[in-house]
Amino acid sequence: MTDISAQAPQFDWKSSGFTARLQARRRSELWLRGLGLGAIGLALLMLAIMLTSIVGSALGALRQTHVTISVPIPADQVDPADPFSANWRRIMQNYVASLYPEASAAELRELGGILSKGAQFMVREAVVEDPSLIGQTLTISVPVSDPFDQLAKGFIKRETPENERRVNDAQIAAFDVLDKAGLISQPINWGLLTNGDSRFPELAGLRGAAVGTFYLLLTCFVLSFPVGIAAAIYLEEFAPKNRLSDFIEVNINNLAAVPSVVFGLLALAVFLNWFGLPRGAPIVGGLTLALMSLPTIIIATRAALKAVPPSIREAALGIGASHQQVIFHHVLPLAMPGILTGTILAMAQAIGETAPLLLIGMNAFITSIPTSPLESATTLPTQIFIWADSPERGFVSRTSAGIVVLLVALVAMNGLAIYLRRKFERRW
Amino acid sequence: MEDLRLMERVADTTRTKITARGVQVYYGEKHALKDVDVDILDKTVTAFIGPSGCGKSTFLRCLNRMNDTVASARVSGTILLDGEDIYDRGVDPVQLRARVGMVFQKPNPFPKSIYENVAYGPRIHGLTRSKAELDAIVEASLRKAALWNEVKDRLADTGTGLSGGQQQRLCIARAVATHPEVLLMDEPCSALDPIATAQVEELIDELRAHFSVVIVTHSMQQAARVSQRTAFFHLGNLVEYGETGQVFTNPKDPRTESYITGRIG
Amino acid sequence: MQTDPHILQAFDRDLEAIQAMIMKMGGLVEAAILDAAQALETRDEELAERVRLADKAIDALEEQINTEAARLLALRSPTASDLRTVLTVMKIAASLERCGDYAKNLAKRATVLAQMEPIGDTSGSIRRMAKTVELLLQDALDAYIKRDVELAQDVRARDREVDQLYNSLFRVFLTHMMEDPRNITACMHLHFIAKNIERMGDHATGVAEQVIYLVTGVLPEDPRPKADLTAFARMDEAND
Repeated sequence: MTDISAQAPQFDWKSSGFTARLQARRRSELWLRGLGLGAIGLALLMLAIMLTSIVGSALGALRQTHVTISVPIPADQVDPADPFSANWRRIMQNYVASLYPEASAAELRELGGILSKGAQFMVREAVVEDPSLIGQTLTISVPVSDPFDQLAKGFIKRETPENERRVNDAQIAAFDVLDKAGLISQPINWGLLTNGDSRFPELAGLRGAAVGTFYLLLTCFVLSFPVGIAAAIYLEEFAPKNRLSDFIEVNINNLAAVPSVVFGLLALAVFLNWFGLPRGAPIVGGLTLALMSLPTIIIATRAALKAVPPSIREAALGIGASHQQVIFHHVLPLAMPGILTGTILAMAQAIGETAPLLLIGMNAFITSIPTSPLESATTLPTQIFIWADSPERGFVSRTSAGIVVLLVALVAMNGLAIYLRRKFERRW
Repeated sequence: MEDLRLMERVADTTRTKITARGVQVYYGEKHALKDVDVDILDKTVTAFIGPSGCGKSTFLRCLNRMNDTVASARVSGTILLDGEDIYDRGVDPVQLRARVGMVFQKPNPFPKSIYENVAYGPRIHGLTRSKAELDAIVEASLRKAALWNEVKDRLADTGTGLSGGQQQRLCIARAVATHPEVLLMDEPCSALDPIATAQVEELIDELRAHFSVVIVTHSMQQAARVSQRTAFFHLGNLVEYGETGQVFTNPKDPRTESYITGRIG
Repeated sequence: MQTDPHILQAFDRDLEAIQAMIMKMGGLVEAAILDAAQALETRDEELAERVRLADKAIDALEEQINTEAARLLALRSPTASDLRTVLTVMKIAASLERCGDYAKNLAKRATVLAQMEPIGDTSGSIRRMAKTVELLLQDALDAYIKRDVELAQDVRARDREVDQLYNSLFRVFLTHMMEDPRNITACMHLHFIAKNIERMGDHATGVAEQVIYLVTGVLPEDPRPKADLTAFARMDEAND
C-alpha cells in the first residue's frame, strides 16, 4: 500500500554513536538487575536476622532444668480414698526439711524455692494416678524454679554480686550439691507444648493458646468460607450491574483495608455487649476474625471465578446447562484452587491477628485448656503478647518459642495452600 | 443434463427449519443487527460470512438465545424454529439450547474425561435411564463426530489432552449428544491447522444428513467449500442470501462482490 | 462490476498483466488478419510468409496466458468478477488463437492463389470483409477492456454484416465456378478463405459474449443474429 523501501534511509549500525548508545542501554539494564538483586538480598538478610534472633532466643526454652526428688508419701497424711485433698504443700515442706535438718525456717523456704511451685502438684498427680504409692517413696523428676533454670542455663552469672542476683550463695551451693549428686537434668521441654499457661515460666505452656487458636480458626472458617463464597458467587454471577452492586463492591474492597482493631471494637459492642456472648471465648474471636477475613475471601473468590475461561461457561451454556449448573458443575470446581488459596491466606492472616482479640478479652490469664469454643481462652498471638509483658526472665525465651510455634503454624498453612492448589489445579 | 450436475452441492430439501423475520439486536446503544429476514433450510449447511463486527455471530447467537446471557443485549423480531417462536415466554432457553447445539471458535472441552464431556449434555437433560443407554449415546456421538476410532481406548483420559482438531471434534460430539435439530458453529476451524480443518469440514458435510448446520466463518473459501447456502452480512445488514455457487460466482450485490473478491475489509 | 483495487495489490497486478497479454495477442491477431488479406489482394508472397511466421508468436502468447491463468487460479483463488475475468481471459485467448490460425491459413492460400488467375475483384471483396472482421474483433476487445456491454451487444449485432458479406461472396464464387470449371481450384481456395473470415467473425462475437458474461455474470441467452444462409443454398439460386 505504501512504498516503504523508497524512503528507507541507510543506517550505519557500526558507528560510534550507535555503539555508545548500545553500551549505555546495557549499562542501565545491568543497574536495574543489580538493584533488584540488592533489594532481594536485603529482604533475605532481614529475614535471616529476624529468624536467627527469634530462633536463637527460643532455643533457651528448648530444654527445662529438672531435679529428681524422692518424696516419701506418708500414709498418715494421705487418705487413699481421696489423695487429691491431702495437704501436699505440707508434705513437700516436710520433705525439704528432712533433707536439711539443721536449716532454719527462713533457710528452708529459700532452699524449697529451688523446686518449682508446681512440684507439689506433679507429686499429687502421680499419687492420684497410682494410690499404691501411699506409704512408699515417690521418685520423680520435677522442674526447678525459673531462677535456677536460668542459673543452670548460664543466664544468671555466678560472678554477679550476690545482692544483684535472684539466687543467693547458699541456694547456689545447695543447687551445686544436687548437681554433683547427678540429680539435675535438662530434658526437652515438652511442657511448653502440653501445659496451659502459668505464672511460673517453668510451668507455662502453649497448649491452651493452641487449642484456643484452633477453635477460633474453626469458627472463623466455618463462618467465612461458605458466606464468602456465596457472596462472591452472587456478586460475580447474579448481581445486576447497577449502582447498588458497585456500591457494595467498593465497600467490600474498603472493608478489606479497615484496621483490624476496628473490628475488635465492633465485636466488643455487638457480640459482647449486645448479644451477651461470653467474654474472651474463641467463638467471639472467630466471629470477629470471620468479619475481617470475609472481604479477603470474597475478593479472592471473585478473582478466581473471573479467571475461569469464558469458553468453559459458553460450552456449558451452549449445551443447555442452566446458570446454576454452569456454576456448580464447571465454574466453581475450576475456581476452587484459587478460592482455597485465598481462604487459607485469609486464615493465615487471622491466625496472627492480635489487636481485635485484646479488645474482646482473649488476653486473660487462663491456665485451663478450653474444651469448647464457648470457654474463655487465649490464642497463640495473645499468649505471646501476655508472655512478652511478663517480668520473669524465663518468659523471654518462651515468648520467642511461642513466635516460632506461630511461624511453624503459618508455614504449615501456606504449605497446605500450595498443596491444595497443585492438587485441584486443572489445565485447559 | 440434470444428472450431470454436481449434486453434492445442491441442498437436499427445501423444507424451512428456521424462519427469521425482522430480527433486530441492540447491544446497549449499538444497533448490531438491522432487520434480518432469513429462511434456513433443514439438512443444509448455511454459511454466514462478512467482515468482523458485521453481525453474523450476533445473529448466530440469536438462534439459540445465547444473547440472553449478555446483559446489555436486546433482541426483537421473530425467530421461528419449526414454526414455533423461540423467544416465546413458554420456551425455556435451556431446553432450546439442547435442540439447537453450538460449537465455538476455540475448542473448549471441559477439563474432564472424554466420556464425561460427551455424556454431560444427555445427563443434565435426563435423556437416558441407564448407564448402558448413556454409553450408547456417547459412542454414537463420538462416531458421528468421526472421533470414536481415535479415542475409544482412552475414554477416561482428559479431553483437554487431545490435539486441537480432536478437541474440536470432541466439542462437536458433545453438541451432537443431545440430538440437536440445528447445529450452530461459530468459526469452528479458526484455531485449527489445515488438516484438522479439512477433517472438521468433512464432518460438517456428513452431519448435514442429520440436521441443519449453520456456520459462521471468516474464511470465504471455507464457506464456499462446505455450505449450500451463503448469507453475507455487512454493517449489521443481511446483504445477500443465496445458493453458495451463485454467491461466489455471480453475487447480486456489489458489497458482496467487493467483500468476496477482497476489495473491502 | 468492481473497479475498486484489491486490498492485496499483487492480485490487481496479476489480473492486469494477464489482460495486457490478451490485448497484445489481440493486436497481433488483428495485424495478421489485415496483413494476410493485403497479401492476398496484392499477391505479396513475402508478406504472406511473414504472417505465417508471426502465428508462432500468437501461439506462444496463448500458452503463456493459459499458464498464468492457471497460476492465478491456484494462488489467488479468485471469486465472482475476478473468477470471471480469469475464465474469460482463457476463453478469449483460445478464440484469438483460432483467429490467428485462420489468418495463417489465409496467408498460405494467398501464396497458392498468387500463382493463379485472379477471379474478378473477389480478393478486394475479401479484403473488405477481413477489414470488417478486424474492426469487429477490435471493438470486441475494446468492449472487453472497457467492460462495455453495449459495445459488446453492438459487436454481436454487427456479425450479421460479415455473414451477409460471406453470403454474397458465396454466390459470386458459385457463379464463377459454374461459368468456367477452370476457376474451381481458385474459387475453392477463395471460398475457404471467406469461410474462415466468417468464422473469425463468429469468434469476435464469442469474445463479445464473454464480455457480457464477464460483466453480467450470465451468457446472453437470446439467439445470436445469424445471416449465414449458405447452409440452405441451392445451385439454382446462384443464378437468381
